[in-house]
Amino acid sequence: MKKKVLALLLATGVVASMLAACGGSGDTGAAPAADATATADADAADDADEGAGSGEVTNFTMFITMPGSEINDDNEIAQMIADKWGVKVKETWLTGQTASEATGTLIAGGEYPDFIDSDEMNLLVDADALVALDDYIDQYPEFRDKWFTKEEWDKFRQPDGHIYWINPFGNTKGETKQTTHNDEAFWVQVRVLEWAGYPEIKTMDQYFDLLEKYIAENPTMEDGTENIAYTILCEDWRYFCLENAGQFLAGYPNDGSVIVNKSTMTIEDYNTSEDTIQYFKKLNEEYNKGFVDPESFTQTYDEYIAKLSTGRVLGMVDQWWDFAYTVNDSFKQSGLDLKGCNYVPLGLTTKEGMENRWHTYDDTVNQASGIAITTDCQDVDKAFKFLVDCAMDQELHDLRWWGVKGVDYDVDADGLYFRTPEQRQNWADTSYQAKHRCQYSYFPQWHGTSDDGKNANKPEEQPSEFMSDMAEPLKKCFDAYGHTTYPQFIGSVQETNGPWFPMYSFSNNFTTETPGGVAWAKMGECKHEWLPKVVMAKDFDKGWGEYMAAYEACKPEDFIKEMQDILDTFK
Amino acid sequence: MARTKTENRPKIKMSGKELRRQKFLLVVSFFMVAYGVVFYYWPLTGWLMAFQNYKPKKGLLGSKFVGLDKFKFLFEDDVFIKVIRNTFAMGLINLVTTTIMAVLFAIILNEVRRVWIKKPIQTISYLPHFLSWIVVTGILHTSLSSSGIVNEILLKTGLINQAINFFAHPKYFWAIVAFAQNWKETGWNAIIYLAAITAIDPSLYEAASIDGADRLQKIRYITLPGIKPTFLILLLMNVGNVLNAGFEIQYLLGNGLVQSVSQTIDIYVLKWGISQNDYSLGTAAGLFKSAVSILFIVIANEIAKRYSEQRLF
Repeated sequence: MKKKVLALLLATGVVASMLAACGGSGDTGAAPAADATATADADAADDADEGAGSGEVTNFTMFITMPGSEINDDNEIAQMIADKWGVKVKETWLTGQTASEATGTLIAGGEYPDFIDSDEMNLLVDADALVALDDYIDQYPEFRDKWFTKEEWDKFRQPDGHIYWINPFGNTKGETKQTTHNDEAFWVQVRVLEWAGYPEIKTMDQYFDLLEKYIAENPTMEDGTENIAYTILCEDWRYFCLENAGQFLAGYPNDGSVIVNKSTMTIEDYNTSEDTIQYFKKLNEEYNKGFVDPESFTQTYDEYIAKLSTGRVLGMVDQWWDFAYTVNDSFKQSGLDLKGCNYVPLGLTTKEGMENRWHTYDDTVNQASGIAITTDCQDVDKAFKFLVDCAMDQELHDLRWWGVKGVDYDVDADGLYFRTPEQRQNWADTSYQAKHRCQYSYFPQWHGTSDDGKNANKPEEQPSEFMSDMAEPLKKCFDAYGHTTYPQFIGSVQETNGPWFPMYSFSNNFTTETPGGVAWAKMGECKHEWLPKVVMAKDFDKGWGEYMAAYEACKPEDFIKEMQDILDTFK
Repeated sequence: MARTKTENRPKIKMSGKELRRQKFLLVVSFFMVAYGVVFYYWPLTGWLMAFQNYKPKKGLLGSKFVGLDKFKFLFEDDVFIKVIRNTFAMGLINLVTTTIMAVLFAIILNEVRRVWIKKPIQTISYLPHFLSWIVVTGILHTSLSSSGIVNEILLKTGLINQAINFFAHPKYFWAIVAFAQNWKETGWNAIIYLAAITAIDPSLYEAASIDGADRLQKIRYITLPGIKPTFLILLLMNVGNVLNAGFEIQYLLGNGLVQSVSQTIDIYVLKWGISQNDYSLGTAAGLFKSAVSILFIVIANEIAKRYSEQRLF
């Protein structure tokens, strides 16, 4: 009998745990948001508007489908922001997955953070995961009118007529202070230019020529580390470093996935264009001569950044935001900036005398991504208010980007902000960043001039800061060419881009629902495999022929046709 | 469960009296059946997605039924055909090599007579099993890189004169995966064989010694036949797993250059199902995998039935 009782107990135990497991899925949905709920309820009891000053802090979560560094929970500036604006955001970043996998996993799980920034926004909308923001935007007319024009807002409208996300980047307030080239380029270390006596480099051939000559005479760095002439990042979506230079070399702007021929208003495929062939042929030649880093096609992003941080790499194609923040900080820490390891951009073309459009002067509005509030957010009002505060409150903006007055920066007699060398060193130090700095870098932010009319919104755009932050070799290089900003190195044509620009913001939203979307996915897969193969091929023409056969099999014409349909709407 | 049991034994009639007599068993087994239905069979309704154009918003009931369209897409996709090949090839290589290595290792370790040597070796050998793949692939990636230890040694010893970029050539990929699999799992897999060897009656060895058998002969005629049942059962179970050739290792070690040999069905499912948000296509690929796995295991079971007493069902 005893045995029977035991068995019965066990059986009920199993059932109990089963029920617990079933019920659990419902419960856990609320669990992560529990903190937020509790405080949010308390807040709702107060007047919502006064909530900010009343010392009630609402904790929000945010997921960003980009790799980033998490800040400490007791981060000092985050706490100051929480004290004053009543909101603390716990940011988590992409690790180990690709952006679309992470988004897909969230959707499959059905639980979302309060804020999300993803490249796959339309998927989230499809899954009913996002809160329509139209009404909230209208509650803050000042923000609405200042942040985007009506046409720009309309670009964010989804087929159902609602706006679900706001792109936080690329907006300029007041006078532009653009000093960086926040775009793609062929980059080269200033020590190479210095060695060659600061020559004018205009074409791809001259560029590789320079790298070859430099490395022939300087095979190693001072400490004996071998120099690498040229490396290519091609992990996952970051393979643009290999993939799309062809469009720029042909003189077109960064439409990303296609070329727009403005005179005929047609979409052209740069993958098969003459300039692209020439570009890959050059890479192939350099690879076979041994000047391209053999690990190019197998390295991960982390390995790539680590490699750049050693200062060994003389040149590469990349976007400024993809490497500069991390790599420049680490140069400053290791003192390699004094050895001329910093990079300057070059606006190369295939032939001399061509116009180039590497640099985008206008604000680029990428309507394919941005910050959104999810349906799991318990206090959308407060969340949206904070989002607006980030854009509209100069004090908050300064705290995020400049830091604490007297600690991270000082103010001179004219009211201009500046940093001492020590402050600059701190600001670039990763452990200091985790403990002190809190940028909420995927919340709305401005370039250009601060509300005080003097200072730049971003420290790197403050002219005095920009110059004094430069290490000696970099400054010498700027002086030698007579440039005061990075874009001057590129020398792009100044012109206004069409309303369709950038086309990649449309193709990023393609899904496999349409033949064009399927083709786009397959083309990407094909290029991921074949472009490295083409570069490594012993016989370029044969390799290119094989690649083209595989490429045509993906039916790129389906994709081009759908892009053309989109472009036609702008006629 | 209870019913099939009574049906299998026609001698016992399913009378009310019999049911009352077994009521306790019936109650207990009811819970187990319920558990099985809820956790093993209910989720399978998700397979319906493979025949729909599933949209998370519309749900399983609201999505459009498209028949075999998704399967058609799959088998017209060259990539998927390659993916099947990769999965099958890597699964088979892993199955064969890990089994052989485990048996070999167990036998060799068994022949070590000194416990103070044997025990530490055993412990050390199965420790890698507890490492996660991300760590193992990290080690592999570093040691096989152009400036890694492997290339360093090969260069220093003069076997090659230019560093080999192991991850850039499709021809090395399967070998690297098999090596990693063996490095990680040999010790662990050997445990069960060691246990089987321990269960062999020592008197057999004594008798063999008296008959003048040497070590190799004892292994050949006693140890190997002794672990044959274990070997066959494990092999049978693993045949069903051939298409589970892995996910993490190929996912973490793969890159654009080797994707034509590195992608497995699981990665394909992730890529289309999650990244491209085509749950239906992902489900179809997964369904295909399950169907083939079941087929494999039935065939293997039949073969085992025919040639020996061992079988799963």
